[in-house]
Amino acid sequence: MFFKFKIRQLILILALFLFCFRLNIIINTFILILLYIQVFINSPSVAIAQTDYPLIDSLISVIFLIVIIIYLLTIGKKAKVSQISINLTTVVIILLLSFFFFAPLITDDNPDFQKDLAVTKLLPPLSTVKVLHLKSNDNYGNNSTAKFIGLKNRLIKKSFNENLIFADSISMENNFLYYQNGSGILITPDKLVFKNNYPFITNKTFILGTDELGRDIFIRLIYGTRISLFIGLGSVIISLLLGLIMGFIAGYSEGITDTVLNRLADMFLAFPVVFFIILIIALFGNSLLCVMVVLGFSGWMSLFKIVRSEVISLKNKDFFISAQHIGLSKTNLLLKETLPYMLIPIIVNLVFQYGNVILAEAALSYLGLGTGSNYPSWGSMIEAGQNYISQAWWMILFPGLALFFTLFAANSLGRKISSLYKFQVKE
Amino acid sequence: MEYFTTAGIGQQLNKIIMKKEIFKVLAKRFWTSLLVLFLLMSFLFLLLKISPGDPSLKYISPELSPKLAEMVKKSFSLEGPLLSQYKMFIINLSKGDFGISYSYRIPVVQIISNTLPFTIIFSLISFIIQIVSGFLLAVLAVKKINGKVDKIISKISLTVYAIPSFAAGVFLIYVFSEKLNVFPSSGLSSFDTDSYPAVPKLLDYVQHLVLPIITLSFNGAAVFYKYLRDNLEDVFNKPFVENLRANGFTEKEIVWKHIFPNALNPLISVAGVELGLLFGGALITEVIFSLPGMGRLTVNAILSRDYPLIIGCTFVAGILVILTNFCADVIKALVDKRIAKGILN
Repeated sequence: MFFKFKIRQLILILALFLFCFRLNIIINTFILILLYIQVFINSPSVAIAQTDYPLIDSLISVIFLIVIIIYLLTIGKKAKVSQISINLTTVVIILLLSFFFFAPLITDDNPDFQKDLAVTKLLPPLSTVKVLHLKSNDNYGNNSTAKFIGLKNRLIKKSFNENLIFADSISMENNFLYYQNGSGILITPDKLVFKNNYPFITNKTFILGTDELGRDIFIRLIYGTRISLFIGLGSVIISLLLGLIMGFIAGYSEGITDTVLNRLADMFLAFPVVFFIILIIALFGNSLLCVMVVLGFSGWMSLFKIVRSEVISLKNKDFFISAQHIGLSKTNLLLKETLPYMLIPIIVNLVFQYGNVILAEAALSYLGLGTGSNYPSWGSMIEAGQNYISQAWWMILFPGLALFFTLFAANSLGRKISSLYKFQVKE
Repeated sequence: MEYFTTAGIGQQLNKIIMKKEIFKVLAKRFWTSLLVLFLLMSFLFLLLKISPGDPSLKYISPELSPKLAEMVKKSFSLEGPLLSQYKMFIINLSKGDFGISYSYRIPVVQIISNTLPFTIIFSLISFIIQIVSGFLLAVLAVKKINGKVDKIISKISLTVYAIPSFAAGVFLIYVFSEKLNVFPSSGLSSFDTDSYPAVPKLLDYVQHLVLPIITLSFNGAAVFYKYLRDNLEDVFNKPFVENLRANGFTEKEIVWKHIFPNALNPLISVAGVELGLLFGGALITEVIFSLPGMGRLTVNAILSRDYPLIIGCTFVAGILVILTNFCADVIKALVDKRIAKGILN
């Protein structure tokens, strides 16, 4: 039964689950979109000032979720991709992609959210704390702009929230007391939010525990997926372009250009590239873009070698020569005549490269040279966990597992595609 | 009778010609290696020159008199036109003179000669473990290709290959140092080893190196195993094996005398690259276990902008990489003479 599941069913189940689970947020997001349009018509400058990355991010994730559900229920039934049966690799890939796209929907807090360090510091997995809700002093007025800002502040999570208090336990016998790390703190009831004449207290569970700054590891893990996949994608595209173009130039033009480019590739292959990456990042800063470009530049050699040798062997084929004589430009020769021939080895190479880049990024973050200080990243989480190794094993285990499953999926996907290719060649 | 002798002479002549040819090819290969090294160092020089900032400013405190500050600045020899600097750089390199480290204040050669022996021993041990375990596993698997054992080992090796070594290293510390308290978590030796007699001293080193070597080796062992196994499978499917079987050779003879030698050849070049990379420094492992190796030295030099030390480390790593690749090629050419011509391309 289990093995008969197709990708389509899995994605549909996940998406519908997310849809039902976060219905509240989704409806509110649509209201937010309406308000946003209203504000934009009334005063465009305010709307533009309020437009920031988290807003666009959450809007896109909600819209994308709806689009995916509609697509799978209507046209997607017959798509070939959705008929692939599921196994560990596809499940991991789908989960990673859904983390990537729906991070704001899956999680209910900012990855950097921290509050009441005494209570939330280094909590083991599945531990629960009590949350007291304070009355908020925010008064936004009644016009559409104020409503928009109020709803936006409610919907889009920030890294701080003054209206929450985390506590180990709460007693309400005589006077209202909450305990943090053993010491009781008095609070007057008129500050609290009441529901049915009873103070509004909720439980918050940290599924994978918290780190040394009281941040939820589960949320950071999911946002870390974004960094890993994004940097991987960017640098793989860079190395694809570099390898393809330089490989074509080298293979096509022989002579001194070929020799120089080949020796250059040899040089990069011969030397441990990690040091160059570290050198460049240390000298020129560790912005997201810099890390991406450097990782991209460090991985073009294998692709270059593949493309070069393929082009050299293709150059003597009749169809290539005739295409040359017809007068195809070099770009067209590359795109229309050579690329289709080496598509599969290139894809295989890119998939392996993707795994390598993700590992390299995590290793850089582990060394404190990645983008880890600005964004949550798996490598930097492990690095932080190393200092608390005797108290908090969960800080290392979960990011390590995430990394392991990602690499495993990338490797087995690459193997699968390459075995497909071998099969074709034998036929 | 006559026929045989002439054939013998012909063979001997052939051998001499072959030897000469191999020598020629290897010599050419050596020169191109040197060229690669030259390119590498030039690239490094360019990179250091275009990087923003001035490393000498770190060592000039505002209290210094302007004259002294000028002298300190001059001692870093970062001034002057680019071309003359480059000329000096190349000349110094060819002499083997890397200058004096900015942060350690001793000659770079001395620092490197203190760290290099450890790195070489460490990476050699790890390399041997990788090769031997990969080889043994492949021997186990090759008894029946696509059999049960083969499939299980392949699955395990795929899994092991995907484990990120730094996560595994940290977790090994957690299990074996924190919980079980069997192996120390960092360093190369205990603080009081100087007073130990020889044997306990050695045991102390071994105890300190168990976890690092596991961390460094398991990925590589999986790679070697996978590589060797796939090669073996490729050779197994070749027609000559069928021919041997038809001629009545036993399976054991075929595997050991014909399949392994044919499958080993590509492995040698992979091993050469791997060993070269190891000599460059097992950076992550050294950082996790705070070992005094080349990797950590290089990264510390980079982070503290110690230009002479960066250049020295890069040069040594480059030389070692090139040497190991060269040795791998020589071994390959000795094992299989057909390859000698192919090496160059």
